[in-house]
Amino acid sequence: MRTTVPLLILFVAHFPAAGVDVVVPDADYLTSAEAVVAGQKLFAAACGACHGRSGEGARGPNLADGGLIRRLNNTRLFASIKNGVPGTDMPGFPMADAKIWQIVAFVRSLSSPAIEARLEGDVPRGSAVFFGAGGCSGCHSIRGRGASLGPDLSNAGAVMTVKQMRESLTDPGARIAAGFGGVSVRLKSGEMVEGIAKNRNNYSLQVLDSKGMMHLFDARDVDSVRESGKSPMPPARLKAEELGDLLAFLSKQSVRTEAGRKRR
Amino acid sequence: MRIALILLASVCLAQQAPRYEDVMASPGKNWLTYHGDYRATRHSPLRQINAGNVASVVPKWTYHVDGATKLEASPIVVDGLMYVTNSNEVTALDARTGRRVWRYREANAKLSSVNRGVAVMGERVFFVTSDCHLVALHRITGALLWNSRYANSEENYFCTLAPLAVKDRVMVGVGGGERGMRGFVAAFSGSTGEELWRFNTVPKAGEPGADTWDKFNTDWGGGGTWMNGTYDPELNLVYWPTGNPWPDYYTGERRGDNLYTCSVVALDVNTGKLRWYFQFMPGDYHDWDSQSIPVLVDADWKGKTRKLLLHPNRNGWFYVIDRVTGEFLNATPFVDRMNWAKGMDAKGRPIEIPGLVPNANGVKICPSVRGASNWMSPSWNPDTKLLYVPTLEQCDVYSTSSQKAESMLGFSGGGGEGIPSEPGQFYLRAIDYRTGKRVWEYPMPGPGTMWAGTVSTAGGVVFFGDDDGNLVAVDATQGKHLWHYAMGQKLTASPVTFEAGGKQYVAISAGSEIYAFGLFEPVKPVPVIR
Repeated sequence: MRTTVPLLILFVAHFPAAGVDVVVPDADYLTSAEAVVAGQKLFAAACGACHGRSGEGARGPNLADGGLIRRLNNTRLFASIKNGVPGTDMPGFPMADAKIWQIVAFVRSLSSPAIEARLEGDVPRGSAVFFGAGGCSGCHSIRGRGASLGPDLSNAGAVMTVKQMRESLTDPGARIAAGFGGVSVRLKSGEMVEGIAKNRNNYSLQVLDSKGMMHLFDARDVDSVRESGKSPMPPARLKAEELGDLLAFLSKQSVRTEAGRKRR
Repeated sequence: MRIALILLASVCLAQQAPRYEDVMASPGKNWLTYHGDYRATRHSPLRQINAGNVASVVPKWTYHVDGATKLEASPIVVDGLMYVTNSNEVTALDARTGRRVWRYREANAKLSSVNRGVAVMGERVFFVTSDCHLVALHRITGALLWNSRYANSEENYFCTLAPLAVKDRVMVGVGGGERGMRGFVAAFSGSTGEELWRFNTVPKAGEPGADTWDKFNTDWGGGGTWMNGTYDPELNLVYWPTGNPWPDYYTGERRGDNLYTCSVVALDVNTGKLRWYFQFMPGDYHDWDSQSIPVLVDADWKGKTRKLLLHPNRNGWFYVIDRVTGEFLNATPFVDRMNWAKGMDAKGRPIEIPGLVPNANGVKICPSVRGASNWMSPSWNPDTKLLYVPTLEQCDVYSTSSQKAESMLGFSGGGGEGIPSEPGQFYLRAIDYRTGKRVWEYPMPGPGTMWAGTVSTAGGVVFFGDDDGNLVAVDATQGKHLWHYAMGQKLTASPVTFEAGGKQYVAISAGSEIYAFGLFEPVKPVPVIR
């Protein structure tokens, strides 16, 4: 069925969970600033109590890290909001479909991968910044090139939003990637190990040192642990143009863009 | 940030990258391949846990894999780091504590299927995504090194197996034989991800073996390669088991032997060239993939030590083959519910009983579609010289369709259906390879739905997953119960054993969890670290 009602209807999907025919707006509308801004207001009022105003999670799960939302297509995301999610605390929201679609647009934007953004920077120059003057590859690697103390960025464009990337570069202390906090460990033998804590509880901890060695400590052998509480990464000291180039380069990093190297 | 470095070899467990020589010597303290060793004997020299003390084994840790329902991986363990997989993800755990060290997820894979684990070699960990990308990760950090697509999931391929790493190369196979595709084994450079060779298990028109397909379009002939092969370093041959011809239950146009389906193919690891093949089921219509593990042993055969390949096939026959030449030596039934073949000719070709061909109304044939055994791992104890085989006694009603075979439409040519009045029953059977006779068997009451395998140890114990969610230990000589632990989940993986921090563990993937077991020790108090 085709129709000419507003929102440039593309198709009508029978959606069993909703029990009704759901009208799916055009993809351009769902990525438009108009829908995202409208959805943000609705989200803050209806969803913020559990997911946080910015969608980064509180009592309810984080919707910005991509892990949850990217598994759902738009109709399933719509149905989750309209009908709730059985077996969880997520209730259904009986609001007009058009408003729910605006919330869908906002929620989708939270984890929209950078590779889908059209950035203006120069990718080759960004590569030169990453592997050269910027010093990024001293701690990060892409496809095996670089060092491993910081998170691997081979898939950064596919898993991070532009906003997250920009924040990581300009304000790295704003959030520390899990498993990448700086740590200093003193053993009962008196020896010291410094690196990043991949994991820690009261009984064991795992530390990756700067030479790429993994230390698996039993807590009984440890005298003290000092966590820096800061990101080991310094804020990028780059000119605006270099930052733009670096963002453009990082936004292109995706492990799935490469087809087979040699097909027979 | 500059980080000072002080090396501490005594506590730095995971610093030795496994070399080819280490993998050849596996299993020792480590468990370095899906089968533990290249030859798939799945026998560990560890004896800290043994028949005398296994009754004191307790769970040491449990790790929940988010979102998992059907874990099939054999955990791989390298110097205190354990690698497990679920669909499109690899997790590295501290093998002594079960704490996660890193996780790699491929959220953009186009399919989600089961996965049987990683291969390791040097600094790299290899795994396949469900949509058939072979991926190399750094073993310590989980960082991506390369990603090579080797089959197109839009052409019916999907991938589940643990890769097989030998020297500088990594070998993989494909699933999809139930939907129509051309099976193959491919080798990739471990360092760059470049494809080195590819062997098609179903020949293209004009290639050797194509004449065994009559007029059938071999583009869709099947011959999946969804279990990893086994490897003889001395012969430099890999033995890869192959799956059913497509459509699975079809008795229509594809008359002939349908090479190289339902076979084991011996391939030169350097070139991928076929050295020999042995076909268990010529022109099969039972969906009897030959993916049971080819176990390689050097043992006496009629007074002479020979390089043997032992294979308990889904068709209910236990085969002994000379793995140098592919010569058929013997086959004996290892199930009682067996009605389709009365024997084998001198070359190992089945002598079928007339009338037992699927038709539109259905025909009772034994074993069942699931097979007398399947991909559940057997194990071989060189001391007892017994092969321990998870075995299913079951028959099905097989039917076929007269519909024309069309690929990409989900056509499988018919099907097999259980008989409600004759439920299946699993057993662990200890088979004497010389005669094919059962020396002992251990029954497993249950629903008949498990896919769990075994591991054998020099401690005189066989560990295996049973049909009711238990990890069980029996003594290797007589099959007597020694210990069990209920994990409460359907088991779809085989146990492994390894040593970390001086202690032996037994580990298994169970549904949605990884379990590790060891000998009981009182817990010493742990002071809180400030």
